[in-house]
This record gives sequence, structure tokens and C-alpha cells, in this order.
Amino acid sequence: MAVKFFGQFLVEKGLVSRDSLLAAIELQEKNNLKLGEMALSMGYITPADIERAHNAQMSKDMKLGDLLVEMGILSATQLNGVIARQKETHLYIGEALVQVGAFSAADLQVHLDAFKADQARYVSNGIELPVNLPNNAIWEMTADLTYKMITRVLDLQFRTEKCAVISSIAPACMLAAMDFSGDVNARYMISVSEGMQKSIARAILSEPSVENEPVEVLEDTVMEFANVVCGNVAAKASQMGIVMEINPPETLHPPQEGLPVPNGFTALSFPIHIMDGDRMELILLIKD
Amino acid sequence: MKRVLVVDDSLSVARQLEKIIAESGDFTCVGHAKNGAEAIRMNHSEDPEIICMDMNMPGMDGLTALRTLSVMDKQVKVVMVTSLGGVGDKFTEALKLGAKNVISKPFEAEGVLRILREL
Repeated sequence: MAVKFFGQFLVEKGLVSRDSLLAAIELQEKNNLKLGEMALSMGYITPADIERAHNAQMSKDMKLGDLLVEMGILSATQLNGVIARQKETHLYIGEALVQVGAFSAADLQVHLDAFKADQARYVSNGIELPVNLPNNAIWEMTADLTYKMITRVLDLQFRTEKCAVISSIAPACMLAAMDFSGDVNARYMISVSEGMQKSIARAILSEPSVENEPVEVLEDTVMEFANVVCGNVAAKASQMGIVMEINPPETLHPPQEGLPVPNGFTALSFPIHIMDGDRMELILLIKD
Repeated sequence: MKRVLVVDDSLSVARQLEKIIAESGDFTCVGHAKNGAEAIRMNHSEDPEIICMDMNMPGMDGLTALRTLSVMDKQVKVVMVTSLGGVGDKFTEALKLGAKNVISKPFEAEGVLRILREL
């Protein structure tokens, strides 16, 4: 019930053993050459060139291939040739599992179909953002996945409002916040009303009533909802080639006057109206 | 009944797992640790057969604790529980460090118990 990659789906379902998957990953690691290794095997560069480029990478935030071209070590045509060879010779995890004898080629297709059906619910629907930001596709996917998790995890019906840029974060019962780092620098926040906090707690704890639960448990359930969404966002982002690290969630209590948006950040608000009148809001603070 | 230690900084996830374990009929929960260091201490004091451990915790995280546990205790079977399960590198790293499987959040009782019963 989460965003997964194929090998994980197979192990979780008990369709292949952990040891078979590790053997297949080892085979992939031997077979799938990194860009520098492939350029080396094609005779375009030397080990000393790779070392020079890696040293240069410490002061320049560039991909190895682009850097090799900029340094005049590889031509753009050679770089394209290396990337094309990487694609042609890439061994996918399913094929690697067949090669290590985990299952037959015919079984592979059956498992791939089951995997696609399982993941179909996480295919992103288009969400329009009001501004152009770095990695716009990631933020559209984040909002979309949040909506999907409200349905799947909380089992709530809701209506969304159009996304808007905001200059301050409105007061609310509480906010659950998580920071993204890696290829992006942003903060994910879920703001909830008191009633919404209880709805989330009932769903997460699978309890019909949470009236006697301490505040720390109620707040923890909202943080856990944010944690589940952000982990799945990071998984989806990794499928899109973007590295997103997440830090443990924290609780915030905005004052009556609201919280200002920090300088250098754009704040996007996605208001969400729950059918019984409760309200939640997804807020993304994205570094410009 | 097999003895299970739950390790998670989230009270609500620990509650969810403890409920699933208690209602299974096959497993019993022997305690709840809130971070990796506490997990290592409770592995010694409670002697669980299975540890269900969160990957992303403040203080000592799950992967660091897994690395230590795989050296200190060859018998205990560790299953990681994480919302980051879908990130291929994290999943592979957990298996390479000795985790028997990874439970992705959000999870359902049926999926958790299937994984625990297969250990």
C-alpha cells in the first residue's frame, strides 16, 4: 500500500527471497557500469581523468558527464555515446532475478503486471502550481500524493481549493512539519483544525473514539501522517531521479498572528476541505 | 508465541504495531523502544526473537542500530518499518545490513503479519 520499487514489492509479497534479491542486486552492480566506468571501458578516458573530474566535483555542483565535457576530457558526442551504451546494456532488476534463478521469464511478466496494478494508484494526476519553481514536477507530485494518502490512509472525502502563494502561515490547532534535503531544500507542513486532528488520530490508531487520548498522541498521529506522505514522496522522487532526504517530523503551534514565510522561500498553500466541515492545509515552503 | 520488540519514536506507529501483534495470536510484544540505542539495550534485557524497527528516528537511527545488532546478536531477526521503504537505496541498504525484510508505511495488519510469519 505504498510507493515501491519492483524488488521491494517482490520481497514484501514473499515472491522472491531476500537472498535472491541481494544476489540480483549484486549482479546488477557488476553489470550496470557507472558513467565513468563505461567511458573508461569504451576507451574514451583514463582513470586519472576520472580522478581529476571527481576532485573538480568537490567545488562544482555538476554531474560527472557534464563536468567531463566542460573539462574537455569527453566530447558531447562521446558523452551521448556513453549514456546510450549505459541504456543498451542496463540490466533491470527483473531480468537480474531471472538470471539468478529466482523465477522464470514467464513469471517475470506475471509479477510485473501485478506490480503495475499495485502501483497504479500512485500515478500522479496533474496539479497546477501558480508559479514556476525549481523542480515544479516534484511539488505537483507532493500535493497529489498528499491527496491520495488522505483517501487511502485516512479514508476521508474531501474537496481541494486551488493552490496559492501565501506570505504568512495562518494559525491552526497544530502543524506537523518535515524538512526535505538532498537535491531539494524545502519544508513540508500539514496544518489541521482540532476536528481534523481527531479524524487523523481515529484513522491512524484504528480507534472509533480518541476523546480520551492525550494531546501528545493526537499530535503524534498528525506527524505520522506527514511522515508517511513524505516517505512516499521521497520514493516517488527517487523514481524521477531526484534525491530527497527526510528528517523526523516536528510539531509547531503557530501564534494568533500566524507564522511569517522565511526570506528566500516561496510558500505554497493547498487548502483541503473535508466533507464534515473540518479543514486541513498542505503548505510547502520551497527555497527559491 | 514469538516475542517481538517494537522500535519507533512515533507513539502512534508503536500503538498500531502493538495492536497488530497482540491480536495476531502468534506473536507477543515484549516492549517498545523509542530509538536505536534503547533498542540495543532492550534486545539484551527482553531477549526478543523479532525486532520491528523504524528506519528514521532521532538519536540513533534504525540503520545504525541494525548494524550493531547484526554484529552483537546473530539470532534476532530484524524487520525494518519505514515510510522510506520505496527508496530503492534505503531498502537495499537495510537488506545488506542484515534486515530480513522491510515493511513499508502505510501498512495493513495482513501485510505485517505475512512478513512476520515468513521469518
